[in-house]
Order: sequence, then C-alpha cells, then structure tokens
Amino acid sequence: MNKEEQIRIINNAINQTKQNLKPLGYNLVFWSIVVISMSFFHYFFPQIVQFSYYSASIYWISIPLLGMIYTTKYNIKNGIKVGYVTQLDRVIKIIWGVFGFAWIFIVAISLIYKVSPVQDVLFLLSIVLIMTGLIIKFNNVTIGGIGLLIFTAYSYYNPFMNLLLVNVVGLSLGMLVPGLSLYFQKNNE
Amino acid sequence: MNKETEKLLFNPIRLKAISFLISVETCDFKTLIDVTDSTKGNLSIQLKKLNEAGLIDIKKYFYNSYPRTDYSITKKGKKSFEEFFKELKLLK
Repeated sequence: MNKEEQIRIINNAINQTKQNLKPLGYNLVFWSIVVISMSFFHYFFPQIVQFSYYSASIYWISIPLLGMIYTTKYNIKNGIKVGYVTQLDRVIKIIWGVFGFAWIFIVAISLIYKVSPVQDVLFLLSIVLIMTGLIIKFNNVTIGGIGLLIFTAYSYYNPFMNLLLVNVVGLSLGMLVPGLSLYFQKNNE
Repeated sequence: MNKETEKLLFNPIRLKAISFLISVETCDFKTLIDVTDSTKGNLSIQLKKLNEAGLIDIKKYFYNSYPRTDYSITKKGKKSFEEFFKELKLLK
C-alpha cells in the first residue's frame, strides 16, 4: 500500500461520516406541537386546567416531563439505529440537556415566587435555538431563535399580553417552522 | 511516531477503522463493518490489535437485553493518527 493509497483510504473513511439532522428537526417539531397544544387547551379550557390551586402547575410540569422521557428514549433509539455519535451530536445533546435542567430550575423558582415562567423559558429557548442554529449552520433555526428573542423581548414590555398566546406565537415562530424545515430538508438523509 | 504504530496502521482495515473513529465520538461494530468492507471475524481481530496497542477503546454493554459493543479512539490513538497523517503528507 503506497502513500497515496493510504491518504485516499483516510479521506474515504472520514467522508463516510454524515451529519444526520433529521432527529433534531423531529425533536423541535415534537416539542413545539406539545407546548402549542397544551397552551391552546389551557386557553380554551381554563376551568379544567385551573380547577384547583396546584392543578395548572401539575399540568405544566407532568406533561413536559413525560415528553422529556419520550424524547430521551427516541434519541437513544435513534443513536443506536445510526450506529455512531459525532462530536456535533454530543455538543447538541449537552446544549439541550443544559436547557432541560435550566427549565426545571426556572419552573421551580417561578413556583416558589408565584410568577409565570413563560417569558424566562422563552428567552432561554431563543438563546439555545440561536446557539443550535449557529453550530449546525442552519439559518432557519438561527432566524427562528432571533424571531423568538425579539418576540419575547416585546412581550416583556406588554404585560397585558396573554402568556398562553405568547407561547403559541413564540413556539410557532421559533421552533415549529424551523423544526419542519430541518426535518424535511433534502440533503439531510 | 514509533515503528510499531506505523506497522499497525499499514493494514488497510485498521487504517480505515481508525480514520473513521477519529471523525466520530463512538461507533458500533456494524458501522465499522460497513466502513471497512471486511468480515466480522477479520474486523474483530484487527480491532483487538488496535485495542491492545492502546489506540482504541472497546466498551461492551447490554441494550434491551442485546449485547452491544461501542468503539472509540483514545488520546494515544488520536496523537498517533495525527503524527501518522503528518508524516504521510510530508512524504507525498
């Protein structure tokens, strides 16, 4: 085996690593649909969600926790199906893992101080989306994150906006549309 | 780079395996079979040699009651591969 052949083998082997971003798109679409549906349900049926003092908190904690378990299982299963984990996969996993912990922290603090966590969570989400978009070099996710950041900042200055509708608009802008474009992009398979 | 590592990476299957492992965090056995175009038995032997030389790590575990093996490159493996590649480029 001569030197040229060795270099060719190395190049071919390295080029066989493909970055599969479809699972990330699936995660974004899944979470946006879950939270938008929950927000609509809460908005149209407040008498069900808020039937007792803690029922709304239980509603907004238990379903996302179940979602976290489902997406964790999905991501593990998908990772095994693909057969390898790239450095980029690990970075994305760490970023969204940190978001998950921060979400739990924000929700706990908001329960203690009896304030709404919506804007803080949306602010954090917009930063994480911008970071993800920049890392994976996918402009739609970055733009979605920037749109969500602007919308969240706007909602801070308009305290009379309904926070459930803020959730719906914010997540449609920042997660659903970019998530769908990431999921359906052609060179992703 | 020592002669032993150079000798190890002279084998095309071992070179393919380590070149792929340098671009990923971890990888399973099935993917390495596809990447190296080799048989299960031959690949096992070559990976064992890389592991004995300290160039790769082998992690065995169970997932859903099925045995699985993941491979990853070690720090020593990365360093050796980089030196090997640098020398290749110089000689070209």
